[in-house]
Amino acid sequence: MPEGIWKWAQLKGITVVGTGDFTHPAWFKELTEKLEPSGNGLFQLKRAYRSGEGVPVSCRAEVFFLLSVEISCIYRKNGRTRKVHCLILVPDLGSAAKLSLALSRIGNIVSDGRPILGLDARELLKITLDVSPDALLIPAHAWTPHFSVFGAASGFDSMEECFDDLTTHIYAIETGLSSDPPMNWRLSALDRVSLVSNSDAHSPAKIGREANLFGTDIAYGAIIGAVKTRRAFLGTVEFFPEEGKYHYDGHRQCSVSCSPRETVGHHYLCPACGKRLTIGVAHRVELLSDRNEGFRPGAALPFRSAVPLTEILAEVGGVGGASKMVQDEYMRLLAVLGNEFSILLEVPLADIERAASPLAAEAIGRMRRGKVHVRPGYDGEYGRIKIFENGERAERGGQGRLL
Amino acid sequence: MNDVTDGLNASQRRAVVETEGHLLVAAGPGTGKTMTIVRRCAHLLGQGVGPEEILAVTFTNRAAREMRERMRAFLGPEAARVFVATLHLLGLKIMRAAGAAVRLCTRDEQVRFLRSVTGSSRAAQLAAERISRVKNLLEAPDAETARLVEAYQGLLQAQGLCDFDDLIAIPARMLETGRVPAAYAGRFQHIIVDEYQDISPVQQKLLGQLVGGGARICAVGDPDQAIYAFRGADVRNFLFFGKAFPGAGTVALKENYRSTGMIVKAACSVVGNNRQRIEKELCAVREEGTPIVVRSVPDERAEAETVVLEIEARMGPSSHFMLDRAKTSVDFSERSCSFADFAVLYRTNAQARAFREAFTERGIPFQVVGGKGPFGGRALIEELRGQLDTLPDHQGMDAFWRGLREKGSFPDEDWGFLRNLALAYQDLSPRDALAEVINELMLFTTADVFDARAEAVALMTLHAAKGLEFKCVFVAGVEEGLIPFTFAAEGSDIEEERRLFFVGMTRARDELFLLHARRRFLYGRQGSGLPSPFLAEIPRQLMRQERVADGVKKKGGTQMGLFS
Repeated sequence: MPEGIWKWAQLKGITVVGTGDFTHPAWFKELTEKLEPSGNGLFQLKRAYRSGEGVPVSCRAEVFFLLSVEISCIYRKNGRTRKVHCLILVPDLGSAAKLSLALSRIGNIVSDGRPILGLDARELLKITLDVSPDALLIPAHAWTPHFSVFGAASGFDSMEECFDDLTTHIYAIETGLSSDPPMNWRLSALDRVSLVSNSDAHSPAKIGREANLFGTDIAYGAIIGAVKTRRAFLGTVEFFPEEGKYHYDGHRQCSVSCSPRETVGHHYLCPACGKRLTIGVAHRVELLSDRNEGFRPGAALPFRSAVPLTEILAEVGGVGGASKMVQDEYMRLLAVLGNEFSILLEVPLADIERAASPLAAEAIGRMRRGKVHVRPGYDGEYGRIKIFENGERAERGGQGRLL
Repeated sequence: MNDVTDGLNASQRRAVVETEGHLLVAAGPGTGKTMTIVRRCAHLLGQGVGPEEILAVTFTNRAAREMRERMRAFLGPEAARVFVATLHLLGLKIMRAAGAAVRLCTRDEQVRFLRSVTGSSRAAQLAAERISRVKNLLEAPDAETARLVEAYQGLLQAQGLCDFDDLIAIPARMLETGRVPAAYAGRFQHIIVDEYQDISPVQQKLLGQLVGGGARICAVGDPDQAIYAFRGADVRNFLFFGKAFPGAGTVALKENYRSTGMIVKAACSVVGNNRQRIEKELCAVREEGTPIVVRSVPDERAEAETVVLEIEARMGPSSHFMLDRAKTSVDFSERSCSFADFAVLYRTNAQARAFREAFTERGIPFQVVGGKGPFGGRALIEELRGQLDTLPDHQGMDAFWRGLREKGSFPDEDWGFLRNLALAYQDLSPRDALAEVINELMLFTTADVFDARAEAVALMTLHAAKGLEFKCVFVAGVEEGLIPFTFAAEGSDIEEERRLFFVGMTRARDELFLLHARRRFLYGRQGSGLPSPFLAEIPRQLMRQERVADGVKKKGGTQMGLFS
């Protein structure tokens, strides 16, 4: 429900949030009923649907919605099956309806979940451009092995192979949870596009694992302009890509995980059983990159890596992330200190120490400095980010309200 | 121009170069018929025949379009002057050239005229079919039908209209009585007719007139694929070709390049049980391939589910959701499948529903070929048109649409979509918006209008599948009562039904699935639940029998046990 997104956007500290799924008739109906244009290509929740419940005063803020949808294109091109997800942004309901109409002629857009169309991504781009000159198509989570423009299983080796003559109309790619800017900086071909950081969310509580920071007016045109030109595009907040299920290479059945270099050393075979290793995102980047790790292009934008606050609190308290203690502590801290992004990135550590605990402040401090322990995911096995070494937490006395 | 006989096998070569007299080419499925026809034209041009002197007749507009493209690709711009068309289009042009103002009545108008004569819609439909057969078979009708025809033709004439069948009958009569328009008098020296097994007597009559002045006719077809007897076609035209066109040679194209060995053998075993046919050994050029899967499913919903699972198994996961649920490590190997590689064939359009629902639920792109469009088709348009005039315009958008919904009978699935269509026109008045919506819907309902950019699973009747081919074919409802079809009011011909099944089987290149449901609800009653007798005609070693057990669906509705 849009109300749920509105509430969580405030808790997270998000000013502009994508509506998602505007081609779905039922969701579109929700949007037209509950949102109203705010006169800048964005939308706001109608007063009648706003409820003060659940949002502490410290987090209250205006939330704007941007019409967005993610389309799955599954088609054959140059003799291979391709699966590419694309994010499309539009400035108004008329354009949204026009896009839905055009896509409904091609395939089915009423099923739950992302619309899957047997449509070449280049054709989708053409349709988007025809719908509105202000619409924007962004290849989604550009590096996931399946379903992305550079995906190892069913993607392409270059943007041009996918979008042909229309490649110049691609102004940005979405790094997604599976990649961060440094990985993308290794491809010189990507210097000309912006790296936007968004994430899918399957529930309102999970929005904002990543975000983009703009210094523009809050308006559709200004935001799109910033994405296209990088002027007033201040940077991004990233998820640690190593947490992704396919970051490293490996073989889950044998609990074998390899860095791309190690994989090459093993001749792409599992050292335990000899079967083929499943190749991950890091390896794919390695294969397509033309620069070494650590390169930073001149026009690169700053970024911060973050871990969701509930995960930090869970680690600090030594409990599971979904536990009631963590949820309660989470809401309590928000009420005291303000929205999640501000806690993660800006609130002075001293204030966090006072409101929460020294351990929590230390954890957030380390996260801000990138001093975390990373265990990369592989072959469908999620990775883990830990702030403290094993035993370190207990050593530090674990003082805090969670114990 | 390339060498005309390059790459042809011996029979194909004969079919291309034997142009001295009439020729009958019995071409089994997948034997390169279209290519042979194109090469034959090329050979004729090479012999100095002018392109305008060649007539190539196809069965459908779609086939004509394809033939024209292939001719242009092989012959270059000269190909445009070869007359490639359906006989109906040819008839239309002849009539126009003779100065007749041709106004074709639509199917709806036809049924409306007949309703005024017969009384009910259902009787009108049956009457339309009966009249069509009479006109096509050139048989003397019984007294009752003769009266019907007379009344009907009278109504047409009064409105200055003619129907589809008249496009053949009238020119045939014209040519018979010597009233040939100048542009067509003695024009065609060579006539090539595709799908000759489905020619009707009146169509043969027209062709006979055209051949009259010394032209040579080459008839290409497969008596084992004659499936339009119910429309007045007569396979005997093919079988007794030599009688109508004396001195005709015969060639049989026997090498099937399309399907695997098992599929070819299985299909031939089935159709071999027909008696009214020409014995020819169709053999596969390709490898043996995999056995035909004959799968028993609990009901039509399970039938659609099993198709979905097979498609997803071959396309790989189509979403992160499916990926996460995959039990084994997902294969990263190179796939080259597309949704367009799959087809689901059924005996009646009514069977499409379960598949549309299942594909919609799983987000698998599909397109329904022929039959109703996805949005209620003509009926919906007529209904909307009707309402357009009765609703007051001064209401706001919402009140207007609510009123429309209350007055009309729109299925839920259509309604949501109509509303969204209307939103694209929300700046117009509600009535104007509705007019625009109707325009949009008309695009959806024409069978030929598909977005060529889309790759989608094809859903169609066995009849509509003629001439097409797919990597993987699912024939649904292979049950007693459906295949062979015994719901028809007028008697069915088992040999024709077997031929139809043969057509379905031979559409498949690599994989063929024959599905039969143990329970089915169709046309308001329970199906037989018995597998088709044709399945027993497939040698056991060419098939793999499987059974999906009842009620094995787990919660969440995805994985089903494939083996009981």
